[in-house]
Amino acid sequence: MLPFRVEFKSGLPVYEQVVYAAKKAIVSGQLLPGDTFPSVRTLSQELKMNPNTAHKVVMTLVSEGLLEVKPGIGTLVGKAPSATRGQRGTLLNEEVERLVVEAKNLSLDLKDVLEAVRKHWNGLQKR
Amino acid sequence: MEEVIATRNLCRAFGRRPVVQEVTLSVPEGSVFALIGPNGAGKTTTIKTLVNILEPSSGEANVLGTPSTKLGPSQFQKIGYVSENQELPEWMTVAELLAYCKPMYPTWDDAFCELLLRQLDLRPEQRIRSLSRGMKLKAALLSSLAYHPRLLILDEPFAGLDALIREELIRGMLELTGQDRWTVLMSSHEIDEVERLADWIGILNKGRLELCESVTSLQARFRQIDVRVSDNGDSPSSLPVSWLLAEKSAQRLQFVETQYHAQKTEESIRRIFPTLQQVLATPMSLKSIFLALARTYRLSA
Repeated sequence: MLPFRVEFKSGLPVYEQVVYAAKKAIVSGQLLPGDTFPSVRTLSQELKMNPNTAHKVVMTLVSEGLLEVKPGIGTLVGKAPSATRGQRGTLLNEEVERLVVEAKNLSLDLKDVLEAVRKHWNGLQKR
Repeated sequence: MEEVIATRNLCRAFGRRPVVQEVTLSVPEGSVFALIGPNGAGKTTTIKTLVNILEPSSGEANVLGTPSTKLGPSQFQKIGYVSENQELPEWMTVAELLAYCKPMYPTWDDAFCELLLRQLDLRPEQRIRSLSRGMKLKAALLSSLAYHPRLLILDEPFAGLDALIREELIRGMLELTGQDRWTVLMSSHEIDEVERLADWIGILNKGRLELCESVTSLQARFRQIDVRVSDNGDSPSSLPVSWLLAEKSAQRLQFVETQYHAQKTEESIRRIFPTLQQVLATPMSLKSIFLALARTYRLSA
C-alpha cells in the first residue's frame, strides 16, 4: 500500500507524475516528517513502474531535501526543505508558465487565475 | 558488463523472405527494454535468435557476452525466457514443473519460489493442462524467475490476457527489484503496458529497427503541436523534416514535432507562418508517439 495516490495521465512522463504526487502529499501533510517513504521496490511494484524510474524519483526527492535516507532504517520524509526561497521560486517557474498559458488558452483573466490559486492554496493547507 | 544483449546487423531470412533485416541494437544492463512493433514485424524471430532457437542468417547477436550460437548451460542458467508460444508439459502439476526445473539452476531459491507462488496466485497441485492461458503464462514466469535470472526475456507476454492477469504478471516480474543485477527484454504490441515499465524502446517495422532510444529522450523530443495562424493559405510545400503528419486547415496547423525545443520550435513555426498567433505544445504518451511513427512508416512505404 502506498501512502499517496498517483493518477497517471497519459503523455506526461511517469517520473514527473510520481515526483509531483509525492511532493503534493508532503506539502499537504498527507506525509509528515518522520514518516516512512515507500522503498524503490514498493514504489515500482505498487505503481507497476520501471524500478530505475522509481529509483530516480526517490533520488530526486532526496536531493531536494524532501526525503532523508537513514541507513538501517529506510527512507523517511525529511523536515522542511532547505532549498533557498530563490531556488524554490526557480523550480516553480515552469509550472507558473504552464498555468498562465493554460489560463490564456481558456480566455481567463488574471483575477480568475489568482482566485483559483487561492482556492487550491487553502485546500491543501496542512492540518 | 554494460550490454547484456548486443546485436550487429542481425539478419534472419526464411528461404528468400527476409524477416529480420540489419538489426543493430543493444540492451543496457539494468534496463527494461521493450521491443515493439506490429504483428509480423520480426520481434519473435529476433528473440528466438537471441536464445539460439534460431541461428542468424548473417550478422551477430551477443547475449551475456557470448555469441548466441555458442550459448550454453552456464549462460542459460542466468536467462529466464517466457514466450506466449511456450509449451509446458501439460501432464505435470505446477509443483512437478518446479521440481523438474530446479536441478538445472544452481541459483534456484525455494523461499523466493514460495513468495512468487503466492504473488502469482498459483497452487502447486494444479495440473498445467487445467490452467487457463494466463495462468500457464504465470506458471512459465514463475519457473523462469525462481532462480533469479540476470536476463529475463519475455516474448509477447501480455497478448490476449485480461487486465488483472497482466497486472499480476507485471507484479511478478517486478519481484526481481531488489535483486542486484537484472535486465528485461520484452516484446509487445501492447504499448500501454510497456509505457510505465520500459526505459528503452526499440521499434521494429517490417524487420527493420526504425528506432532504438530511451523513453526519457523520446518523450522529451516529441510534442503534439497545435498552432493558430491568421492566414488562409495552404501549407507551404516544404516543411521542416522534423515535423510529421502536418495538417493545415483555414486557420489551424497541426503536426507532430520530433525535435522539440520550446524556443526553436516556435521560431521555426514563425519563420514559415509569420501570422502565428498561438502555439500549444502537448507532451505525448508512448502510444501516441508510436502511432505517429507507425503512420509515417506506412506513408513512406
